[in-house]
Amino acid sequence: MTPVAANRIGARAEQLAAALPALLVAADRVAATVVQGVHGRRRVGSGETFWQYRRYQGGDSATAIDWRQSAKSQKTFVRENEWEAAQSVWMWRDGSASMDYQSKTGTASERKQDRADLLLLALASLLLRGGEHVGLYGQDSIATGGRATLNRLGAHLLDPRTGEAGLPAPGRLPRLAQLVLFSDFLAPLEEIEALVKGFANQGARGHMVQILDGAEEDLPFHGRTEFEGTEGEGKVLIGRVESLRDDYRRRMAVQREGLNDIARRAGWGFAVHRTDRSPQTALLALFSALSGQLDGPAGQTKL
Amino acid sequence: MLSLGPIALTAPWMLLGLAALPLIWWLLRITPPAPRRVRFPPIRILFDLRGEEETPAATPLWLALLRLLLAALVVLALAHPLLHPGADLSGKGPVVLVIDDGWAAAPNWLLRQQAALSLVERAKRRQRPVLILSTAPPAEGGAIQASGLLQAAEAEPLLRALQPKPWSPDRAAAAAATEVLTFTEQPTVYWLSDGIDSPGRKTLAGALAALGPLHLLQQDAGQRAMALLPPVLSGDGLQATVLRAGKQNLGTVTVRALGEKGRVLGQGQARFGIDQDRAVADIALPGDLRNRALRLELAGAGSAAASVLLDERWRRRPVGLVSGAMMEERAQPLLSNLYYLERALQPYAELRRGGIEALLQRPLAVLVLADIGQITKARQQRLGQWLKDGGMLVRFAGPHLAQGPDPLIPTALRQGGRALGGSLSWSKPAGLAAFPKHSPFHGLAVPADVLVKRQVLAQPSQDLSQRTWASLADGTPIVTAVPKGQGWLVLFHVTANASWSNLPLSGLFVNMMRRLTAMSRGVAAAGEAVVQRQLPPLANLDAFGRLGPPAPGAEAINARDIDKLEAGPKNPPGYYGREDDRRALNLSQTRQTLRPITELSVPAQMTGYLQDREEDLKPWLLLAAFLLALADLVAVLALRGLLRPGVRVAVLPLAAMLLLPDSNLSAQQYSSAEQFAMAAALDTRLAYVLTGDGQVDEMSRAGLTGLSDILRLRTSIEPEAPMAVNVERDPLVLFPILYWPVVPTQPALSDSAIARISQYMRTGGTIVFDSRDAGNNMPLLRRRLGAGGSASERLRYLLSRLDLPPVAPVPPGHVLTRSFYLLQDFPGRYVGGQVWVERRSGGLNDGVSALIIGGNDWAAAWAMDARHRPLVLPTPGGARQREMAYRFGVNLVMYALTGNYKSDQVHIPTILERLGQ
Repeated sequence: MTPVAANRIGARAEQLAAALPALLVAADRVAATVVQGVHGRRRVGSGETFWQYRRYQGGDSATAIDWRQSAKSQKTFVRENEWEAAQSVWMWRDGSASMDYQSKTGTASERKQDRADLLLLALASLLLRGGEHVGLYGQDSIATGGRATLNRLGAHLLDPRTGEAGLPAPGRLPRLAQLVLFSDFLAPLEEIEALVKGFANQGARGHMVQILDGAEEDLPFHGRTEFEGTEGEGKVLIGRVESLRDDYRRRMAVQREGLNDIARRAGWGFAVHRTDRSPQTALLALFSALSGQLDGPAGQTKL
Repeated sequence: MLSLGPIALTAPWMLLGLAALPLIWWLLRITPPAPRRVRFPPIRILFDLRGEEETPAATPLWLALLRLLLAALVVLALAHPLLHPGADLSGKGPVVLVIDDGWAAAPNWLLRQQAALSLVERAKRRQRPVLILSTAPPAEGGAIQASGLLQAAEAEPLLRALQPKPWSPDRAAAAAATEVLTFTEQPTVYWLSDGIDSPGRKTLAGALAALGPLHLLQQDAGQRAMALLPPVLSGDGLQATVLRAGKQNLGTVTVRALGEKGRVLGQGQARFGIDQDRAVADIALPGDLRNRALRLELAGAGSAAASVLLDERWRRRPVGLVSGAMMEERAQPLLSNLYYLERALQPYAELRRGGIEALLQRPLAVLVLADIGQITKARQQRLGQWLKDGGMLVRFAGPHLAQGPDPLIPTALRQGGRALGGSLSWSKPAGLAAFPKHSPFHGLAVPADVLVKRQVLAQPSQDLSQRTWASLADGTPIVTAVPKGQGWLVLFHVTANASWSNLPLSGLFVNMMRRLTAMSRGVAAAGEAVVQRQLPPLANLDAFGRLGPPAPGAEAINARDIDKLEAGPKNPPGYYGREDDRRALNLSQTRQTLRPITELSVPAQMTGYLQDREEDLKPWLLLAAFLLALADLVAVLALRGLLRPGVRVAVLPLAAMLLLPDSNLSAQQYSSAEQFAMAAALDTRLAYVLTGDGQVDEMSRAGLTGLSDILRLRTSIEPEAPMAVNVERDPLVLFPILYWPVVPTQPALSDSAIARISQYMRTGGTIVFDSRDAGNNMPLLRRRLGAGGSASERLRYLLSRLDLPPVAPVPPGHVLTRSFYLLQDFPGRYVGGQVWVERRSGGLNDGVSALIIGGNDWAAAWAMDARHRPLVLPTPGGARQREMAYRFGVNLVMYALTGNYKSDQVHIPTILERLGQ
């Protein structure tokens, strides 16, 4: 990706995100008292929202005394605020050669890679505006908040060394973190299942977004065609492609069902997105899934 | 040749190639087209699906058919088919082509040439030799000769070069030329006739029929040539007669009078009635227009006989009128001597009045003296000289003349006169007799009511009857005339008013005056009066009626014969004589009628020209094959999936561009020139001339960029980036000043570039020539311009080819030294080189010298890089010298842009001083 293209994607991501309110990832264990940017923990701690007054005890800082409250009675009170903390969301997108694919040039669609980058950055932008912490899985060691994070993510995506693999490497995630995976998920189902299980066992929750080109779903070719893999899988010559179309679609459906099953078993969300559809709808669906507005466990979403 | 209905094949054996089509079919069907290739990420799924179906791929049926069609078209084209082939020529022997190439063949000459060529083409197919005989005498003189037997390939260029001649064919001579021909086989004869009858027609037809079967080709009567006879003068213009061949239906043709540069001055319609072969067109040419008419032509006819050249004979002649009794005339116009003369002459001549002296100041054709008795000796001499040079003096009698005539009369007169039919006289007023043969009035009808009451009487003498042009019924001369040199002296023995006779009241008088006017100025009908004079050819008509330079074979004509001469190879129609006195020889002047050839006395097959519709199909078939090949290419690309939408859109215009002549190319060139002009014109820019030496050009650019920056900083001139100019190609006029570094390798300039540079300098441009070698020379040698290095020599050579004003070293106090800064010298990278400017750049071009010549390499001193750092160190002076160089540059540009207004500063001290007082 050239720097120019990266800037363009960054700008488009910002534009997309601007249409939606800031995203707060729904935190299960937090009641609906959502304050902009932070999730109250219903505990005393550092924060800005008033939680309770408490009798002064030895060892409290004198500056913590609320003098106005104390003046109303004989006692001395200390003002305590609620402990507020941000969620951390980890993201990852497939950077393998199979993502570098676009069936038709010149139309509204774009490369799968570009679409994945776009959605990732747009989501990150939303999250950051909601005050959440965001990190790129496999690159960042901690999730951070603030506008600078978005730039850092962009720089990572731009870096050609980022993510050549078709699936993220298994690794440790912070407790209770959320993970969002963007990929075409064309790898064998067993590998994907093993990976997702590994993350789920760490207590991470997540979403899988399968990004596909229209041609990959429909197989719109006909006649005598020679297909060539993008990752060195080899070639195959097919006499009449149209005769295979139904079988192919069935196999694609099987793959998608498998992915859906994997996600359901792990309690994750799963969504399919085509590059010839609008990225806004995909972002909106992701937004709803992450903000927990969907009832029950996240199911398959068609984006 | 194989004939299939309307199509014939010239090379039918080529059709054997069609047998190869099944082979092509088989090859196409077993060779599959290349598959389309697609990159596809989910290929793993396809790996699993493979094997369910693997049909052998073959070329699609439609593509195979397309290619078969293509091959078949190529084979057919090679067989060379013809649509509507002309019938084979009859007979076996040689083909004799007799072509009328006189003036009458000029209209539709292309048609005749095509007919002849198609006959030759058909003779070629049978390998029959061709013989060509043209019936008009050749232009280079000599007799008419047949060409001899030729192969078709030799005959074709001959026919293409054959042009019609602006004279009539000589068919009798052509018949004589056929007598010497001998053939081993009986030939077939084709006579491509112009359809106009001529004296030798029967002889030629007989001679041709004797050779072999005769075919006569000629057009319909309505399309044959027409002729325009020389016009006669009418009251308000010209009257021209048009002849056509034979009696035909109604028809109208337009006759046009043309002036200078083919401008149409007037036109008239000639309407042919049914079965009439002549019609008259009246062309109105009022006033001066007739004098400006140079030729008449039949619109759309395009032949030598349809154009008539006009000369002096058709002009209105200047006629001077002098009366002896000026005083009476104003009071009683009807008694005036000139009243009837004026009305008789007005329509045909240009009238002038005044004294004899004044009238003779200008060229005059006729001078009429009405009742002038005595002319002074000096005037007599003057008139005598004028008569010798060709003037016509017409005198009328009257009371003054009757008293005592001067010697300037044709015959001696008796004193007094005689009166007829007076109250005391027994005689009656006498009528006129018929005009004698030698009289110019011969042929005019004499009305019975013209009576003469009084006249002056001629003394009887030996030659009186010769000198008498008109007489009374009793034989008394009433008009006498005598030639004087080239001119005529004419005396009417009556007055010009109605007091002596009623002749001036009659129509006869008008006609008599017309004849006299027409006869004047050396155009006399009486032959013995005209001096034998040779008229060299001046300009000749070709057969199509176009006026060109004299024909090579044209000879001079005796002036006496020109009216009766028939045009021929020695005397083609056209103008003869001198530029100021030219006579026209018209092809139609000897012609009375045009008769068509309706039938020949010998058996002949008669046909028209328009029967040949033969069309060669070969190029069309090849074009179709080429288009199919293009379609095949597109189809193959589409099958392989290489046609993306963008490409698809691009292919169509591409194909169209291959087929249609493209106009965009020139438009684009135009727009690049336009861009240059706009860039140069919309902003003020310095410009430098490209020398072809990359380093020098770069230095010029850097130098002018640096100077532009300085100008922007220090003055109100805000030039944009300098432009490079190619003097051979780019327009120069857009730049106020050009910097021209001269290098030893300066290429020589083309003539057009020289012309444009000279034009540039004349119209206000300033060129700064810099030989850049002032530093290389000994100071001594520097003084003389061009004595320096080879760049100076090159500069000197360059300047020698330009149209330059004289130059001089810059004088002290020149505007260049104070147009912005006050300067003493003009340093550049070097110092001390002499600078030259135009010596006197006076008022022209606002006093700005068109050229400034020096060798100080100014551009190098001005040059700056992108960060405004100087590029070159000036010698010997360093930074100060560079500053002075910049100041010179500023002065230079100021000088070129503002002109001399700074030179007014010289006077400012004086002006201030005066204001102070």
